[in-house]
Amino acid sequence: MKLVAVTACPTGIAHTYMAAEQLERVARKMGLSIKVETQGAMGIENELDPDEIREAAAVILATGIPIQKSERFEGKKIFEFSVQEAIKNAEGILQKVKEQIGG
Amino acid sequence: MAVEFTFDFPLPLGLHARPAAFIQEQSQNFKGEIIFENLRNGRKAEARSILSLITSDTQFGDTCRVIISGEGEKDFAAAFQRFLEEDLKQKEERAVQAAPAGTALVPRLVLKEKEVYLTGQPASPGLASGQVFLLRAGLDEESLLADDENNSPVSIQAEKEAFLLALEEVRKGLEKQLLEKAGVERNIVQAHLSIVTDQAFRSRVEEIMEKEKCKARQAVYLAAKEFSQLLLEARSQYLRERAADIQDVARQLLDSLGGRKETASTVVLNQPAIIVAEDLFPSEFLNLRTELIKGLILEKAGQTSHTLIMARSQSIPAVTGVDQASRLLPGGEKVILDGTRGVVVISPGEKVSRYYQKEMEVERLLLQRRQEQASLPGRTADGRRVEIAANIARPEELDKAWRDGAEGVGILRTELLLYGRPTLPDEEEQFLLYKKVAEEAEGRPVIIRTFDIGGDKPIPAINLPSEPNPFLGYRGIRIYQENYELFRHQIRAILRAAFYGQLKIMFPMVSLVEEVDWLKEKLAELAGELEAEGLPFREKIETGIMLEVPSVALLADKFAAEVDFFSVGSNDLIQYFFAADRSNPKVRYLHQPLNPALLRLLAGAISRAHEAGRWVGLCGEMAGDSRLTPVFVGLGFDELSMSSGFIPEVKAVLARLKMADCQQLVEEALNSSTAAENDEHLQRFYQLHFSQDIIDEQLVNLEADSRSKAEVLQEIALRLELSGRVESRARFEQALWKREDDVATDIGFGLAIPHCQSEAVRTPSIVVLKLKQPVDWESKEDQPVDLIVSLAIPAGKKVTQQLQLLPRLSRKLIYEEFRQALRQATEAGQIIALIKEAIA
Repeated sequence: MKLVAVTACPTGIAHTYMAAEQLERVARKMGLSIKVETQGAMGIENELDPDEIREAAAVILATGIPIQKSERFEGKKIFEFSVQEAIKNAEGILQKVKEQIGG
Repeated sequence: MAVEFTFDFPLPLGLHARPAAFIQEQSQNFKGEIIFENLRNGRKAEARSILSLITSDTQFGDTCRVIISGEGEKDFAAAFQRFLEEDLKQKEERAVQAAPAGTALVPRLVLKEKEVYLTGQPASPGLASGQVFLLRAGLDEESLLADDENNSPVSIQAEKEAFLLALEEVRKGLEKQLLEKAGVERNIVQAHLSIVTDQAFRSRVEEIMEKEKCKARQAVYLAAKEFSQLLLEARSQYLRERAADIQDVARQLLDSLGGRKETASTVVLNQPAIIVAEDLFPSEFLNLRTELIKGLILEKAGQTSHTLIMARSQSIPAVTGVDQASRLLPGGEKVILDGTRGVVVISPGEKVSRYYQKEMEVERLLLQRRQEQASLPGRTADGRRVEIAANIARPEELDKAWRDGAEGVGILRTELLLYGRPTLPDEEEQFLLYKKVAEEAEGRPVIIRTFDIGGDKPIPAINLPSEPNPFLGYRGIRIYQENYELFRHQIRAILRAAFYGQLKIMFPMVSLVEEVDWLKEKLAELAGELEAEGLPFREKIETGIMLEVPSVALLADKFAAEVDFFSVGSNDLIQYFFAADRSNPKVRYLHQPLNPALLRLLAGAISRAHEAGRWVGLCGEMAGDSRLTPVFVGLGFDELSMSSGFIPEVKAVLARLKMADCQQLVEEALNSSTAAENDEHLQRFYQLHFSQDIIDEQLVNLEADSRSKAEVLQEIALRLELSGRVESRARFEQALWKREDDVATDIGFGLAIPHCQSEAVRTPSIVVLKLKQPVDWESKEDQPVDLIVSLAIPAGKKVTQQLQLLPRLSRKLIYEEFRQALRQATEAGQIIALIKEAIA
């Protein structure tokens, strides 16, 4: 199963990247494929392209602020969490997403 | 014959104190009589008396008549009418927009601990802790106004005479002081003298005596109260503070009339204390033993009040605008006074005391570092000498200048001698002042710049015409021929004073070689006069000119044949060079110190001067901008003169520079097209030669004894300030807290990552603390925190290379192994290596 995610936080130098790393790390452990886009002080990095979004089974948003280019995810199944949650409990998040999309 | 005209009063707030001051100032240009009459209420005023103008009760739209009589009345009337109808409004608007005073910044811990605290405006930076001592207000209203026998007058005539005698006595006393005092204190005396001799004040006191049938001292009290209330209504901070001067004069008159009981001037301070007062008259401040004053907590004194100016010059911390301070602090309380943040904590608890103890420790270290920097020699790392000097306007700034590390005085501005007084200073007065400076300099060089006055700053005693374009007009040396006595007295005074020290003369606003010829001819003539009179003076005195008109730069080789040195006045030079008025916000963008055209002008001028063996200094405002020091060194300046507060930092930068690097920087800068490009060159220069690592030993503490979240954030801020990475630790700490308010930054695993992006940060930095005992991070997490990795990021859109590295560190912190390694480190070096590896 393929997933995509976006992380973003107010200052954009710490939590954004910690959450991204955590999601990538735990997904690897769980055998899931995930691509995480970060929206931080450096702007958008590791940007999701339209094909990746189309192919993704779900979109995870781990954010503390409104994100840019949210229109890309119209019609997709979206799961929203706080950045803190993604850092602390990435496993729980991914488990929940996995169950809900029936993977 | 008189000339008259009418006009409708143009200011929405009416004729209050500040516009009255503008009108008074303008009236000084005319020697005859100027009567101002409000046709609505029939009140008449003399345009030279601020107090009488205010009491005309002129409101917006009132039709007023102005009657002018005297020599040149027609011309003056036309100019004065234009001033009243047009310029006055503009001046007032500009004054209203002037920046407001700073506000208090209460440390978060003080709020958390629910301490009792007072806030005000930071008025003199620094910290003090100790007991307060309350000074009661100077005038004892109750006993003055009591309806008892003591207060019923014998005869009005006798009271009037007593009043006139008191005025005379106070005036004489002040005039005597005028001869003895210098600088700030002298200005105060002058301000007081102008009140004592103010016609409106005198008539008002007499009027009250007649109307109220009261004693002179009551009338003085009431008149002073009336006038100071009017001044207090003024929106101008400056004029509000003059209310204190009026009260001070009233106090002196009452002393003379025998109407006062205990006042601050009779109080003796025996032990160190923090003084609390509604306001503190400058005379009272001077009467106290200032070495015992640990700090000042004032209710009313304004930032520009003479008392606070003196407090700042003596490094006494102060907070002003503290509402109700004298009622809330009746005396004996223990307080902490934070003059940097504008806060007074009353009977602080243990935690806040501990917090401030740390702050004081850091203040001591910072002061020590400043002193170290101040004592550095004015020279580059590779030995090129650049003299670092101070810009000064008053002799009593000298002490601070030497403390700040000045190696001389690059410019002593003398114009202050002329302002706000009815007569010109004579030769003797100037001689004594310059002599004092020469002696106090103890052999250090002092450059005295001769009077630089012109149409933009009216001087009462000199009748200079107001002109549409004063900066391009009749100013500086251009007025000397017509005002020869002014020039003559000053030069004679300097030549005589130079006998006692190393004085140099500098002339302002020179544009032609012929002008220098004339000046030198007169200089020789005046020296001849002194010789004939047998007065001691220095015959050979170094003579220089300001380089502020571009023509001097281009012809510097020819000027060099006539003068010993040049000093660049950058503000005026830039203004003339780019044809842009600096005070006009619409063209302020043209004020570009780094513009290559300006740098070429300077480089050319300096090399022409150097070829002729003359030295070149810089005494404009930009000399104090330590960021530009490499450019000035590369251009070849021999001397930099600035406000003394900037000296330690400029010296510290200078000591790290190498001549060849600076010359290379300037070579690049001369060949670029814009100031923006040069700004980038300069930024690269700093990255190359000054780059601070993102983390160093000063930013690591493996045994932090911080006992709360507040202390952790303080520890981070202190370490960053001590290593020069933040401009203000108070503002940085506030920014960290603001980020914590959004969402606490503990992320579990016993780790917190307090961070912020703030204008207070100079260099991107990482601070790592290991706590001796875990602290509660005051968040939803229950888990205490024992490992801190803090990130400090400068504000601004530009993403620096170093900033790009931080996400790598953040990602790394997710891994238990990495956190474990940080926790197990036993030396700062290991932490630094781990962090650097993580972001590599």
